Amino acid sequence: MRNTFKIGGIHPSANKTASRRLELLPLPKKAYLPLSQHIGAPATPIVAKGDKVVRGQLIAENSSFVSAGLHAPISGTVSGIENVVLPWGKPSKAIVITASDDEHSADTEAREAYWRDMIPSVCDRTLSERLSGDDIRSAILRAGIVGLGGATFPSHVKLAVKPEQKAEVLIINGCECEPYLMCDDALMCTYPGRIAEGVELMLKAAGIPKAVIAMEDNKPEAAAAIGEALKGNTSVSLRILKTKYPQGGEKQLVEAVTGRRIPSGKLPLSVGAVVNNVATAFAVWQAVATSQPLIERVVTVTGDIPETQRKNYVVALGTPLAELPFTLPAEALAIAGGPMMGRSAVRLDAPVMKGTSGLTILSRPSKRKVEACMRCGACVDACPMGLEPYLLSTYGRLRMWSEAAGADVLDCLECGACSYSCPASRPLLDYIRVAKQRAK
Amino acid sequence: MSPTYILLFTVAVMGCLGLIGALVLYLTAKKFKVEEDPRIDTVEGLLPGANCGACGCKGCRDFASECVKRGKLDGLNCPGAGADGMSRIAAVLGVASVETMRTVAVLKCNGSCAARPAVYDYDGARSCAVMDAVGCGTGGCSYGCLGCGDCVSVCRFGALHIDESTGLPVVDSDACTGCGVCVGECPRHLIELRPAGRRDRRVWVACSSRDKGAVARKICSAACIGCGKCAKTCPFGAIDIADNLSYINPDTCKACGKCVDVCPTGAILSTFKVEPKQPAQV
Repeated sequence: MRNTFKIGGIHPSANKTASRRLELLPLPKKAYLPLSQHIGAPATPIVAKGDKVVRGQLIAENSSFVSAGLHAPISGTVSGIENVVLPWGKPSKAIVITASDDEHSADTEAREAYWRDMIPSVCDRTLSERLSGDDIRSAILRAGIVGLGGATFPSHVKLAVKPEQKAEVLIINGCECEPYLMCDDALMCTYPGRIAEGVELMLKAAGIPKAVIAMEDNKPEAAAAIGEALKGNTSVSLRILKTKYPQGGEKQLVEAVTGRRIPSGKLPLSVGAVVNNVATAFAVWQAVATSQPLIERVVTVTGDIPETQRKNYVVALGTPLAELPFTLPAEALAIAGGPMMGRSAVRLDAPVMKGTSGLTILSRPSKRKVEACMRCGACVDACPMGLEPYLLSTYGRLRMWSEAAGADVLDCLECGACSYSCPASRPLLDYIRVAKQRAK
Repeated sequence: MSPTYILLFTVAVMGCLGLIGALVLYLTAKKFKVEEDPRIDTVEGLLPGANCGACGCKGCRDFASECVKRGKLDGLNCPGAGADGMSRIAAVLGVASVETMRTVAVLKCNGSCAARPAVYDYDGARSCAVMDAVGCGTGGCSYGCLGCGDCVSVCRFGALHIDESTGLPVVDSDACTGCGVCVGECPRHLIELRPAGRRDRRVWVACSSRDKGAVARKICSAACIGCGKCAKTCPFGAIDIADNLSYINPDTCKACGKCVDVCPTGAILSTFKVEPKQPAQV
């Protein structure tokens, strides 16, 4: 009997049809790097207009403990620190780097050599045995690594576990419960050994005895690859979970793996667990073993586009979304991220950021009419946090912020299971999100 | 035992109990009576009773007791009661009324449906706060009015309504008390309280876009492009340009209206030039 979390959850159709082969997307000639790509204080630029930068150079440093630095994804000249639009149309201060033709071709060559020389499956443990936890944590901090599962929480903060906090298990999240997206799946199939090494490094950095790589039972290829890489490994194990959305939510995953429920308002550490994403583990390996900071990530391009265009790309951060090779059908909707938790991407000239896990194209569905709530309780059944979404959403609509806070609106993880399950197609999450912002 | 007896007995017992209860209540009220200045009730009667919080107190009653407690009106002003109401309150307290300039809400956006046609579709909840949380709004401007009327729904004086033809809220300056509840409600901070001005003459920049001129203009034909013509024209030096956006300082502005005439996009509005210059068609 495979485990999953107990309360709520839904089963949207997975639609995971993109190719699992990773392809290198050509480097952009011009890269846009918003200073706030993570949770926490925005990074502080340390370059000015006209400065020459090389690929991988630090261009903005973390301004406080909960913050992350930024590195140049391409060599070139800083052409300014200006407002650029994010995919959902909001402006944000960003460093803009322009590459000359020579710099572009030199970078491309170096990058191709880097990915060609990466041996996919061997797991080499000498590195994690040789380095100390502090070394690894400072390498992670220097590399500007954040949680690549979507929440973009700075990783060095998460891994700074004190011995008295009694962390027992490091859970590596390979669930990728979001429909359509496959970036973690592709990474696990291609570089399982490197991910395993990254996990070992994280264990050392946080001083945790054992790790569990958790994934859902709809990824047999990735499970086989990771299982092969973990053969004979005593500290890292693989756990297959029963598919249910939102299994990738931190609290849901901890419950599914350990059976312990995290109390309201507490972190996973309160039950002795630390959760990180597989892509983060890979980025940690890249930072420690190859000294490459977080300047690239895997992005899935998928959805209602021809099957040959549904692919996973290694994309340099700051690449405009429009440079991803796909044809946007007329009347289609582009979403940065997946259909459940992603945000509508209205501007395709906006850059790929640390949290951009994919671009999902949906042919515009016909608008459903919003009807009155019939008190059926479908949203209550679906909510993985055991909340009452119909009530929270009403509080949000009627501006009753303190009542919303009293009904634990801050526990909401904005998974969208309530809006998905509502037969009256009410925009439940829209109002809950506002209530959550105001209740803080 | 006859029924009459039961009835009489019950009435007598209940009556006695009631009398004892009444006596206890009477004595308690006598003993624990809170002496309150009767002027608090009088002052409260002169207030609008909207409990809007614009005075900084917890409500109208709190404001009234604060007035009476201090015995003077320095630093206390109810925008809802207006100058009239405040002078009446001053008369009740027997002090000189304090002269305060009435403030009125103005909308710092002129992105009407004509100036900024809808380029994106939005089918989420009809609320500015929701719309602002998910993106830039249907017009594509990430600074401008979203037009769902969150400000209208919080106004307790009926001073705001959405103009169907422009899709923007309109302030009824006679009804507006300058309480500022709408200022806090607008997720994009587009409403500003400005002094009502002499003879109701006000001039303000009806745009909040900090985009560069060309970008702002491309999104909205009524946008301030930060060209600085108004600042050069102003004889009183009341206009500053910062972040590609012009701002008229209400303290130094004399409402001459020269800037309204020179603005190339019609982004500066006034209350006294009846026909504001139409923005050029793009």
